Amino acid sequence: MEPVKALLAWLLWIWLALTIVGAFFYAPLAAGFIGQSSRILFFHVPMAWTAFLAFYVAGFYSLRYLFGRRSARDDRAAAAAIELGLVFGILATVTGAIWARIMWGAYWNWDPRQTSIVLALIFYGAYLALRDAVEDGEKRARLAAAYAVLGLAVTPFFFFIVPRITYSLHPEPVINAQGKIAMEPRMLQVLLSGTVGFTALFFWVHNLQTRIRRLREERPEPREIEA
Amino acid sequence: MGRRASSWAEEAAAVFAKEWRCELRTRYALNTLALFAFTTLVIVSVALGPLGIALSQGTSVLPVLLWLILLFAVAAGLPRAFVHEEETQTATALRLAARPSALFCGKLAYGLILVLALEAIVAPLFVAVMSLGVARPGAFVAALAAGGLGLAAGSTLVAAIIAQARGQGTLFAVLSFPVLLPLLLLSIELTRNAVAGAPAGMALLQVLLYDAMVIVVGLMLFPSVWNP
Repeated sequence: MEPVKALLAWLLWIWLALTIVGAFFYAPLAAGFIGQSSRILFFHVPMAWTAFLAFYVAGFYSLRYLFGRRSARDDRAAAAAIELGLVFGILATVTGAIWARIMWGAYWNWDPRQTSIVLALIFYGAYLALRDAVEDGEKRARLAAAYAVLGLAVTPFFFFIVPRITYSLHPEPVINAQGKIAMEPRMLQVLLSGTVGFTALFFWVHNLQTRIRRLREERPEPREIEA
Repeated sequence: MGRRASSWAEEAAAVFAKEWRCELRTRYALNTLALFAFTTLVIVSVALGPLGIALSQGTSVLPVLLWLILLFAVAAGLPRAFVHEEETQTATALRLAARPSALFCGKLAYGLILVLALEAIVAPLFVAVMSLGVARPGAFVAALAAGGLGLAAGSTLVAAIIAQARGQGTLFAVLSFPVLLPLLLLSIELTRNAVAGAPAGMALLQVLLYDAMVIVVGLMLFPSVWNP
């Protein structure tokens, strides 16, 4: 298996490198955007999608932990997914803010999309704070899983209800309200390849992080060095 | 398996009665909530006063301040509901005495009455002191009631979670605020509409949806949070 895995990892790096090249040299510029700013889309959208995916993967593992066999592996997988979700979420926020500075004139203006992602980041940041505040492994897993499942109930309000209070300047999602994909084909190709690449990157790193967590937890207590 | 000696409703009612009996002995939560809210109200009132804020701005700014006062007062008083059980080591007895869902409902009812009592004192005072003209008093009361239910439900569940962790006081704020954020934003929206005389619109429905969602998820999660 090992050579296959190594090959897959190399393929992923090549895939992502091609996506970056494609984003700058293959895809055309979108009409109505200042300068080259539309190119950030090829990174921003996959990052936001991956963060979203990561939080729901964490919700899945947390549900499975609470209502399944209570295996420590599910707990580690949930925690690792949330950590990665925060990383991708912060990246999506920062790329979004850079783009907003160019297009809207300010890094931050509490556009509903910005509000949603910040609320989600705060929620999952609190999840990590909860984990840090509980020493016992089983208890930590149980309480953290409960909080993550509570997130499944509360985060739809961040994404779908709170943003409706004000109107948004955010560009239409790729698949718009009419359920049609409206994008130039070459742009769409790069965007999809970015999304596939980032998703694969997420699952790869997630697998690594979950295993690292296991090694950390199962590492024997360091013994005092005898003088 | 023998037949249970007490029904679900009896257990929930007993938990509720026990909470209030303990509360009325010490009046800890009542005093904390009331004093905290009163102090904050005095600060807001002295700093802004009835003339410190233009009438046109008042309708949008004052509901925010009202909900912030309520949120922080709840955070100061409510988490004790479960922390107290762990501190005095009565949690185990409680685990034996009532099934989790009955316990959750009893505690939730206690919290709800506490929040509603707080609102009954703070909201009229706030309206009077800040000279806040409320165009639709019925909608204003509905906003407070629906938002209060959400505050009580969210805080009760988070209180149960933090009772078993370290650093409970700060952790409660860290964990509960993100959960309560959408509720707070929607309640502020709802209160603004009531103050300005605009129709409640979807916001009331959304607050009620939030309440229902958190109560159902609370009932579902509470057994795993409560039982080791």
